Amino acid sequence: MASATRQIFKRLFSSTPRTANTQAATYPFSKTAILPPLPTKAPTEALRAGKGLMQHINKTLATPEKKELLEKFFSRRSKNQLQPGSIVTVLQDQAPTQFTGVLIAIRRRGHNTSFRLRNILQRTGIEMQFFVNSPSLKEVKLVRAPPRGRMRRAKLFYLRDAPSKMTGLAGGKK
Amino acid sequence: MLRTWTGARQRIPAVCQIRLLHNSQPVSSPATEASTSKAEPDAVVEAPKKWTPQSKRTGLIALKRGMTSMWNDQGVKFPVTILQVEDCQVTANIKTPKPDHTVYHAVQVAAVNRSPKSVTNQMQGHFRKAEVPPKRYVKEFPVTSDAHVPVGTTLSAIHFVPGQYVDCVAKSIGKGFQGVMKKWGFHGLAASHGKSFDDPGRIFPGKKMAGRMGGKQVTVQNLAVVRVDTALNLVYVRGQVPGVDDAPIYIRDAKKVMDIGRHNAAKGKEEKILPKGVDDLPFPAGTDSLAKTLPPIIEAPAYRRSPFTPPE
Repeated sequence: MASATRQIFKRLFSSTPRTANTQAATYPFSKTAILPPLPTKAPTEALRAGKGLMQHINKTLATPEKKELLEKFFSRRSKNQLQPGSIVTVLQDQAPTQFTGVLIAIRRRGHNTSFRLRNILQRTGIEMQFFVNSPSLKEVKLVRAPPRGRMRRAKLFYLRDAPSKMTGLAGGKK
Repeated sequence: MLRTWTGARQRIPAVCQIRLLHNSQPVSSPATEASTSKAEPDAVVEAPKKWTPQSKRTGLIALKRGMTSMWNDQGVKFPVTILQVEDCQVTANIKTPKPDHTVYHAVQVAAVNRSPKSVTNQMQGHFRKAEVPPKRYVKEFPVTSDAHVPVGTTLSAIHFVPGQYVDCVAKSIGKGFQGVMKKWGFHGLAASHGKSFDDPGRIFPGKKMAGRMGGKQVTVQNLAVVRVDTALNLVYVRGQVPGVDDAPIYIRDAKKVMDIGRHNAAKGKEEKILPKGVDDLPFPAGTDSLAKTLPPIIEAPAYRRSPFTPPE
């Protein structure tokens, strides 16, 4: 199976340190079960008692590549963080493979962070919500920053009723 | 069922008609140590038990820690509830003879250690007999006679196999005193018991009225186990589970799914006994010692066709 070879590859070439218990290669109760790579942080007594468990899970459920993407574009500390009002292109595995639009909302929920892009295609307004940690999301590219560096709102839902402002943003009014 | 009335059946003495806390001696007690070998405490003489479709395993007590979402190997997003198994140990094996001469078998499980200061003397004695620290939650799970677990065994999240289905039982969130619109979903005049009864002169029993809503035991059935993490003792189930965070959840194998499996086994359909992808279940229970020999994190792939590929 493709997933099994992927697991073996990850185990051989992964940079994550092994825990004290060496991972057994097989799980006898299910032949098709996936054995994902172990997180870098070892479990502590506090985590086993449930203290700070959800925060820990939200940090460790994402793959390292996704964590980088989250950190680069959606962390408030990052220099490259996406601002609402910027034009963003998203490349993904499933259809539509490429979507460009105005970033009108960022929903920050750690592992479940998502953002909305709005565009008008063939006189139809189209909004798409993309989840950053989705395995089908391949790339996020910033096309143009918002005019004057920032918009005055965090959520630009008013653009749904203001096509002139949408065209202004798309036309690159500075 | 044919019964022999010739007196060949054994009479159960009256003294044993009371509940028998049979075999509440834990594995590590001196009486059992003398009889078993010195090598390992659980190296008992009999062969390791195998799960059969007629068996019924014990359940676990876990705490609901929260919810998040996950993506499976097909790229489908789904909600998961995270349940953590904390200090879950077997405190008794129950074998009660019933008036119809069958025996009720159950495994009593207790979870979440608590300070002995807040435990009654009676419960302290009960836990002392089982040689476990005092626990906050105690629950009995009906099992078949082959599924008894030695007293004192620590159960682990490895008990559940990713891909199987479970029932989760918990107390639902209390909503307080609620009106009929929220409680019973009225919207307008309620037409109950037929409006044709002109004037019954009384209120029919079961009349839906305002009152306290929630805070009752609710069972959510057939939740798929998607991931098991024995390092943190977590069971990830797909979907929602009743109750608030950090509340106890009693998890057991899904009755309806197991019933179908038993029926298929009787019909000879070997592939449909357990859900897709599940080959076997830890029997009689998934313990801490078993968890140490297996990989720490196990996940179930999607066992259906991808919803992103168009059907033929």
